[in-house]
Amino acid sequence: MRRFSLALTGIIFLIISIILFTLVTWSPLVVLAASLSDPEIRFAILLSLVTSIVSTLVCIAVAVPVAYALARYQFPGKQVANLVLTIPLALPPLVAGIALLLFFGTTPWGKALEHAGLGVVFTPLGIIVAEVFVNLPYMIRIMRSAFFGVNPRFEHVAKTLGCTDTGAFFQVTLPMARHGLIAGSVITWSKAMGEFGAVLMLAGATTMRTETLPIALYLNISAGDLDLAVAAATILILISLITLCTVEYLDRDVTVF
Amino acid sequence: MLRIESLSIRLGDFSVRDLSLEINSGEYFIILGPTGAGKTILLETIAGIHPPDSGRIWLDGQEITSEEPRNRNIGMVYQDYMLFPHLTVEKNISFGLRQKKMPRNEQEKLVAEISALLEISSLCDRYPGTLSGGEQQRVALARALVLMPKILLLDEPINALDSQTRQKMRRELLRIRKVTGTTIVHITHHFDDVYTLANRIAIMRDAKIVQIGEPSEVFLHPADPFVAEFLGVGNMIRGFSIQDGDLVQINSGNGRGFYAASSVVGEVIATLHPEDIIISQAPFQSSARNCMSGTVLEINPFGSTVRIILDVGFPLTALLTRESCRELHLETGSAVFATFKASAVHVIPVSRS
Repeated sequence: MRRFSLALTGIIFLIISIILFTLVTWSPLVVLAASLSDPEIRFAILLSLVTSIVSTLVCIAVAVPVAYALARYQFPGKQVANLVLTIPLALPPLVAGIALLLFFGTTPWGKALEHAGLGVVFTPLGIIVAEVFVNLPYMIRIMRSAFFGVNPRFEHVAKTLGCTDTGAFFQVTLPMARHGLIAGSVITWSKAMGEFGAVLMLAGATTMRTETLPIALYLNISAGDLDLAVAAATILILISLITLCTVEYLDRDVTVF
Repeated sequence: MLRIESLSIRLGDFSVRDLSLEINSGEYFIILGPTGAGKTILLETIAGIHPPDSGRIWLDGQEITSEEPRNRNIGMVYQDYMLFPHLTVEKNISFGLRQKKMPRNEQEKLVAEISALLEISSLCDRYPGTLSGGEQQRVALARALVLMPKILLLDEPINALDSQTRQKMRRELLRIRKVTGTTIVHITHHFDDVYTLANRIAIMRDAKIVQIGEPSEVFLHPADPFVAEFLGVGNMIRGFSIQDGDLVQINSGNGRGFYAASSVVGEVIATLHPEDIIISQAPFQSSARNCMSGTVLEINPFGSTVRIILDVGFPLTALLTRESCRELHLETGSAVFATFKASAVHVIPVSRS
């Protein structure tokens, strides 16, 4: 048993390493550098960075108060709220994308938004909306478990020492939940960088307009331009590595799922 | 003075029902009760963490029932100290001062003063996670005391410490009260705290206070069988202990001395369970080291047992079954002998501040 399981572990390790190695070393360094300076890839990197950072900030701003309410307060319908907030986790991003497309594309409020100049369908704004919708539940769950881990008595003491409710939250609870906040933000950001299905559905795949890195990878592989596709993939792998290291480093008191 | 008037609050499994209480300024008040009696929720309600369902609270003549915790000037120290783990000891202590936006140099002065008082000046730059239980306790006290609270609430402050640190901490608490003059309300289920610290005690059970009084009074005259049983120890005898062979001899009041199997000398409180005392009409011949003559002061029936209060130079409570009480033909004024083993006497040193 021991020999078998160790051998299997070794084989799996080798296979994964070889697959990733093949991808990263596919194009010679010169070609990779040239691809990275290609205007299309540079546009994709920039668009991915901007949309993922904005959507992560939106997720943090919404998830922190919502997770705090779920962790601390009792209110009617709390269980239902918990459930509904979790559903998008189990939803395939493509399905989430279709739902968003129908919501923003066919309903009166979707049209009203478009008239107000906030068009979501097939626009860069749509990328942010799709990323927030898919990632918000993760952020909420991570923050909820982080707040659960902070004994409310810390806040009680802070209040007897002169804090308002808000003061106690920002000076005590949030700093004590900071590992969850950092890990959650990094995970949310990397998921936003890699989001494909929901973005494809809601924002479309328009070259040089709604072309994020995963979309660039998809468009270029469809067009047969392997070098550009590999360049996009290499960057995405780099991002995964950064995320993994950050989360491993902080995972002492963070539950991701 | 803290005055609580028919306070009721319910939170999950814990509650306080129609509770009234007065605690005088400068008093060391201990609330004693079994786990789940509602002691912690009472403290938190006094601190203002939970709004009460009904009832009112006054502090120094001012009603504070709906005042926010930060405006009450009441300090609180929890059993697990609740030091902020992301802040250094110094930042923990100055936390309350920063909320007041006090100038930095004044903060530093006050923190230095309170750290010196609690002998934790050397810990300032460390994080709470690296401190021992006793050290954390002192930091938590310093954090509350630096704001000079009118009342300091202590939630089982001594239980988490080992027995040696405990003894030291009790002396410390007495010293703190003497130096700062702060009113202290302390909840516990530890009797030794009561003997050495309390001016007055309240016994709490099932969300209610069943008895309030000076410790000796409550121990001598428990209000009901619950209190009697809960306190268990019926006798607290203050006296002076001197070494005598491998025992100590304790002299109290104008009574004869008695022996205890202990090595604690000086001013002490001796405790003795009422059921360890044998009452007889003639001197009792046995290996027991103590046989004292006295008279019966009171006979109080409690359920299936009878509590006899004797005068043997100091008051002594004994517990008899109804049957043996009848056989001995006891009545007020009867002359009897009380016999107990030296090993049944528990000796606690009196902390001098």
